[in-house]
Amino acid sequence: KKMCEVKPNNSAPTEDIGAERDWAATKAFFDSLKTNKPRPPKPQYAVTIAVSSRTLFDMVAERKIYEDEGLEQYVAYQVEHENDPLMPGVAFPFVKALMNVNSRLRKLYPDSEELFDIVLMTNNHAQVGVRLINSINHYDLTIERFCMTGGKSPIGYLKAYMTNLYLSKDSEKVTEAIEEGIAAATMFMTQTETLSETQLRVAFDGDAVLFSDESEIIVKQHGLDTFFEHEKEFENKPLAQGPLKCFLEALGKLQRKFYAKNERMNCPIRTYLVTARSAASSGARVLKTLRSWGLEIDEALFLAGAPKGPLLQKIKPHIYFDDQMFHIQGANEMGTISAHVPYGIGQKYHKGKLIEQPAKKE
Amino acid sequence: MVSTIQNTDVKQKDADRAVVVAVTSRAVFESGADGDDVYGMGVAFPLLQALQRVNERLLEENPAESLLFDVVLITTDSQQQQQSSRIISSTRHYGLEVSRFCFSSEEDFVESLQKNNVQLFLSTDRNEVPQASQKGVLSALLDRQEAPSEQLRVMFCGDAVNRPDAGPMPASRQAAQSFSAQLGEMRQRFGMSDSPLSIVLMTSHGGRESCGGALRTLRSRGVNVDEAYCLAGAPLSPILSVVRPHFLLSDGFSGLED
Repeated sequence: KKMCEVKPNNSAPTEDIGAERDWAATKAFFDSLKTNKPRPPKPQYAVTIAVSSRTLFDMVAERKIYEDEGLEQYVAYQVEHENDPLMPGVAFPFVKALMNVNSRLRKLYPDSEELFDIVLMTNNHAQVGVRLINSINHYDLTIERFCMTGGKSPIGYLKAYMTNLYLSKDSEKVTEAIEEGIAAATMFMTQTETLSETQLRVAFDGDAVLFSDESEIIVKQHGLDTFFEHEKEFENKPLAQGPLKCFLEALGKLQRKFYAKNERMNCPIRTYLVTARSAASSGARVLKTLRSWGLEIDEALFLAGAPKGPLLQKIKPHIYFDDQMFHIQGANEMGTISAHVPYGIGQKYHKGKLIEQPAKKE
Repeated sequence: MVSTIQNTDVKQKDADRAVVVAVTSRAVFESGADGDDVYGMGVAFPLLQALQRVNERLLEENPAESLLFDVVLITTDSQQQQQSSRIISSTRHYGLEVSRFCFSSEEDFVESLQKNNVQLFLSTDRNEVPQASQKGVLSALLDRQEAPSEQLRVMFCGDAVNRPDAGPMPASRQAAQSFSAQLGEMRQRFGMSDSPLSIVLMTSHGGRESCGGALRTLRSRGVNVDEAYCLAGAPLSPILSVVRPHFLLSDGFSGLED
């Protein structure tokens, strides 16, 4: 059973010739720059993170203009202010942390293309793009690839850029991406304290994020007692994978590059599992599943149903993935940058009660 | 030998203002069985329909609009030359907004383009495109598209846009600039959304500054780009199959950069 097939292993030979030529031209272009700007990695080998403009930058005021006054006024406003850099958005600390990992990797492996590739994926109009580019310049972010689709859906482009993770403020786009098999999450604005600048910290919920929602279905439909019995009985049967499993795998691959150079103690990537499961009972299945996948997680925290907020506040992740809005809101209120993964049975419930599903939009 | 026939079914455009686009009849029509009076629809058929739709919308905005696409069908194929009446009747059959038919030989088709003041030449023939380009006529290669869009989608390949002007500007570069300026003017007749025309910029090798620079350069020429894709070495064909432009322009160097 093949998992995580985002990057092709072999592309058609004729495509290769053209692609290799373009790649050689890009290498030559960046080599000729006097600024020593690092060139973006070859997409096939990179871990590609696509961020929307509203997650990278704070565009709350501009969004309001769009909603109140319409598209034309919004674009005019952006063009008028295109030399005013935008303020950092909710994904900004995450992006800076990715850049730090890249500079560490480049020092250890100067010829490797196994790096983070950060792509700006926005359906903004290209005229708004000038302000976005100026803002990227202002913070000297290493973002060299972008798609400004002028209103069209980014989903096709996510696939074309071989995206490993997509972050956006638009839950509809995120849901569509997940349905297309792309790891994605909706980010929410929060006031956060200063996060680590030397270590990327990524925290994951377990069920319906790293793992499928199969066990969560049991909880919702049959209650906790049945859930505990079930997990004990099937302790040695690995859970099916969830939408963020492949992203954890990609992080693990980069971590091992540091371990190979004796940098385990000083690794600039750290991963956390923050689960409501309990270590005494339902937790074993989770650890065994990870082991069966050959994946490591640095810290597994079993809360046995206790609130996640205080623990996350201590961890201070650059991003925390959870499938339940209830947990997202709780974490957000305590200053944790949270990202909602709209997957599985959790979307139909709020605080344990079944939500009435609105009729699907045509 | 070059000859031109007017299509009396279609109102002739303003020679000073219209944007003359020549498309080869071989690209527009597909030869069917010999017995058929009417040709089948070729690779360029959806493109012609998209050009027509832009004209319709321009006239909706302003019935007295003179900045329109003026489509000329050029036949260079000696076999098709003998079928001139079939080309004309097929054009009429489909109601295509073609104002003129040009018939010439392979040797002097470029002369025919220049005589007809053609600003953009589109062909499926890989030899014809660079031939015309070298003589200063802006040209682009047409390819079969899987799901051509109704909206006319024109892509500018921006890596060449920023090239410093070393020495006298090649004639085709001039042609590219004036065509893009006219396209930009046409685009401004429509709003941000629901436009029958979309101007797309793509850079393949440079980083964000290359694309950003091209955006600004085009804007200074009156061309407000709608969509921008900066590849910086990422594979081109997956992106192209999502963007689906009707054709690509490399600022006057189409076909020669291969």
